[in-house]
Amino acid sequence: MRTLRTLPALFRLSMAKAMAYRGELIVWMLTSTMPLIMLPLWHAVAEQAPLAGFSQSRFTAYFLAGFVIRQMVGNWASWTINSEVRTGALNRRLLRPIHPMWAYATESLASIPVRSLLALPVAVLALALTQAGHLARHPLLWVMAPLAILGAWAIGFFAHVAIGALSLWMHQSIKVVEVWSAGFFIFSGYLVPVALFPSWLRSTPDWLPFQYQHGFPIDLVTGALSVEQAAHALGAQWLWVAILASLAMLLWGRGIKRYGAYGG
Amino acid sequence: MSALRRHVSVLGASARLSFLLAMQYRWDFLLDGVMSVLWTAAAVIPLYLVFEERPVIAGWGYGEALLVIGWFTVLDALLKGAINPSLVTVIELIRSGTLDFVLLKPADAQFLVSTARFRPWRLISLVSAFGIFAYAFSVIGRGPTWGGVLQAVAMLGAGVITLYSVWILVISVAFRAVRIDNLRYLFEAVFEAGRWPSSVFKGVLSFFFTFVIPLALMTTYPAEALLGTLSWERFIGGWVGALIFAVISRLTWKRSISNYTSASS
Amino acid sequence: MKRRAMRAATPAETEGSAGAQIQVTDLKKHFRVQPRAAGLRASFKALFTRAQETVRAVDGVTFSIEAGERVGFLGPNGAGKTTTLKMLSGLLHPTSGTVRVGGHIPQRREAALLDQIMLVMGQKQQLVWDLPPSDTFLLNRAIYQVPRPQFADTVAELTELLDLGDLVNKPTRELSLGERMKCEFVAALIHRPKVLFMDEPTIGLDVSTKVKVRDFIRDYNERYGATLMLTSHYMDDVAALCPRVIVIDKGQLSYDGSLEALIKKVRPEKRLTLTLQREVDDDALAAIGHIVERTEGQVIFRVAQDALAEAVSLALSTLDVSDFTVEAAPLEEVMSELFSNAKRRAEADEEPG
Repeated sequence: MRTLRTLPALFRLSMAKAMAYRGELIVWMLTSTMPLIMLPLWHAVAEQAPLAGFSQSRFTAYFLAGFVIRQMVGNWASWTINSEVRTGALNRRLLRPIHPMWAYATESLASIPVRSLLALPVAVLALALTQAGHLARHPLLWVMAPLAILGAWAIGFFAHVAIGALSLWMHQSIKVVEVWSAGFFIFSGYLVPVALFPSWLRSTPDWLPFQYQHGFPIDLVTGALSVEQAAHALGAQWLWVAILASLAMLLWGRGIKRYGAYGG
Repeated sequence: MSALRRHVSVLGASARLSFLLAMQYRWDFLLDGVMSVLWTAAAVIPLYLVFEERPVIAGWGYGEALLVIGWFTVLDALLKGAINPSLVTVIELIRSGTLDFVLLKPADAQFLVSTARFRPWRLISLVSAFGIFAYAFSVIGRGPTWGGVLQAVAMLGAGVITLYSVWILVISVAFRAVRIDNLRYLFEAVFEAGRWPSSVFKGVLSFFFTFVIPLALMTTYPAEALLGTLSWERFIGGWVGALIFAVISRLTWKRSISNYTSASS
Repeated sequence: MKRRAMRAATPAETEGSAGAQIQVTDLKKHFRVQPRAAGLRASFKALFTRAQETVRAVDGVTFSIEAGERVGFLGPNGAGKTTTLKMLSGLLHPTSGTVRVGGHIPQRREAALLDQIMLVMGQKQQLVWDLPPSDTFLLNRAIYQVPRPQFADTVAELTELLDLGDLVNKPTRELSLGERMKCEFVAALIHRPKVLFMDEPTIGLDVSTKVKVRDFIRDYNERYGATLMLTSHYMDDVAALCPRVIVIDKGQLSYDGSLEALIKKVRPEKRLTLTLQREVDDDALAAIGHIVERTEGQVIFRVAQDALAEAVSLALSTLDVSDFTVEAAPLEEVMSELFSNAKRRAEADEEPG
């Protein structure tokens, strides 16, 4: 219960930090520019004619929405955990009566309002360029949208915590983050919309969590899914959240015990 | 003369240091090198998928676009192997206040800062770049001319100078910003746009990538040189641009140094 | 209020080797900073506005130092000591005023000057973290173009003076703070600078290391005739090393002269410590002098110099004294007195009417 009471303060502090370093934030946001870099290429591809249902306008909607959503689901807890384990700052965190995961979560969530604010122009631009032609229509879809975005964030968060927890065993789990990121880049729809995958690769993303981190929320918001399809995918997404959350907590629990036993 | 001798000997000593450091963490760095080769291969895949659908995009065919990716890989290897490691070191130096030690030394600060660290194994990517060139030319169906190769290498020189100058500009800005390690990621992110032939970018982006961060010059021009389609006007224009960048960045650096306020005691 | 030290007449303009003289005239350094307020609303506002204020770190300082002198640079935190040292070594450009070190203008960062000076900063290091200090020495050799035989000699000599043994071949990260600081000194002195600036060099070191470093610094000065300028919070460093001190407060010079004279000026009273056999009440003690401290069996008085003899004889005759000592006021007290005086004067100046 004490945790819940301290959450607002934690949040406020993280938000203040986020706003204090506004210049840095803009720069950080601009580091997730791959959607913006892929867009011109795909745009040029669809110049003569649409590609498998993707017109130039739809590509624009897809990748600009991708940029906005990427801003909102940013996670970097594994970096934080790795460096805290290395420098011993983790000890300080563990002394606090709040589970460190809350702290990591609020750090990530607290920057969302500011990042969303700064990403707003891009969202507006997207709407203007596509004349809102690729926006989900059904109200139920808009009810599901926040859940989908939260789920996307949660998948990333628990994956990062799980990988970060690995550094309690390994010297550094940053390489594992790179492997995860590679999986994300390829199978989430970040660089290539999943719908455009060649037939021999088409079913692979369905077995992986990555597309639920990125491609699914985009498809939902840009009206590419029916209510039924969306609900189905939402279920799959939150199943992944549950799996990764359990993994994260398991690894963390075991890891912390080991950390304590070996004196950090 | 003695200034030149001093700087050459410093370069030698710095390279030695970087090599020793590399040997310390050799497994980490070898893995880095391997990962970079994998990423290079992975870079070809989206292009392959895209060109499967459309044989010509923005006036470029598959093989020709591969040449651009090839030059991108070369520059990327130089960026991550020679330019970035020093960049990251400088950011650390500014943050910890130990950049002062660099400024105390009787050698040019820009030189010292640029030669602080190297990552020699990153240059393994140059090998994969050659692989991509070979693949590209097999797709195109013919090899480059010797004139084309020479022109391309010369253009690469201009590209490297430009890339380095842009980086110096970024560092000069870093003197003023409070938290700046993100600038490095920003730079790398924008640099990614160099994968595509410059004609892919239209309008504002085209202007940006030609005059502000001249990626067109860095990756597209050398590719065109290999194809024999780079006019001498553009070649000279590219070199003039590179030299202008070099001068501007040097002046900006000197200005930043004189404005520099080191971290408090 | 500025003072000039009484110096023996020196040959005015013997321009021997570079680095022979340090000359500072009306030196100023002002910084523009952006104040950061606390609280969520303030942070939000800061997102859109940009207030600025000027910090006068150094505000008109003048002094000069001869070759081979050892000078202590004292002042409270934020007084401008480090800023001045950085301007002397060319790291910061002055806002106004002139600086000359060995006839050179430091901010020009001419190789001829940089080859002769060095700045050592406590808690900041130039040693490469993952490699042994000896590798950093080699890098510095290349930077300063030190001929190999001289380099070998210097390293051997310094290593011996600092009693380092084989530590220079262990990676820096495996050394303790004290060992690291000593290796720092070797790295800093590879080129045998004639002018050595030191900013809190002994901070964080244990007592024995501090003494070693202090002795080493003095040795270096005596052996090579190098000019030393040192800032330190540890008054024993200054007392042991620096016959001359310059005191700076709020960016302005408040004293420049010998340490002894400073003590006499600010706190001329002596400290009389009595060890008593029996407890005595305050009235009996009040006659002797002003009581500073009282502990179990000991009383410490502050007594004016001319009243000292009387106080001692009074104490010995009326009290049961088993031991007593007389000493000058501790430096820390002198300093805090000096700075609180300055503060009081400043406040008095600000008062209206």
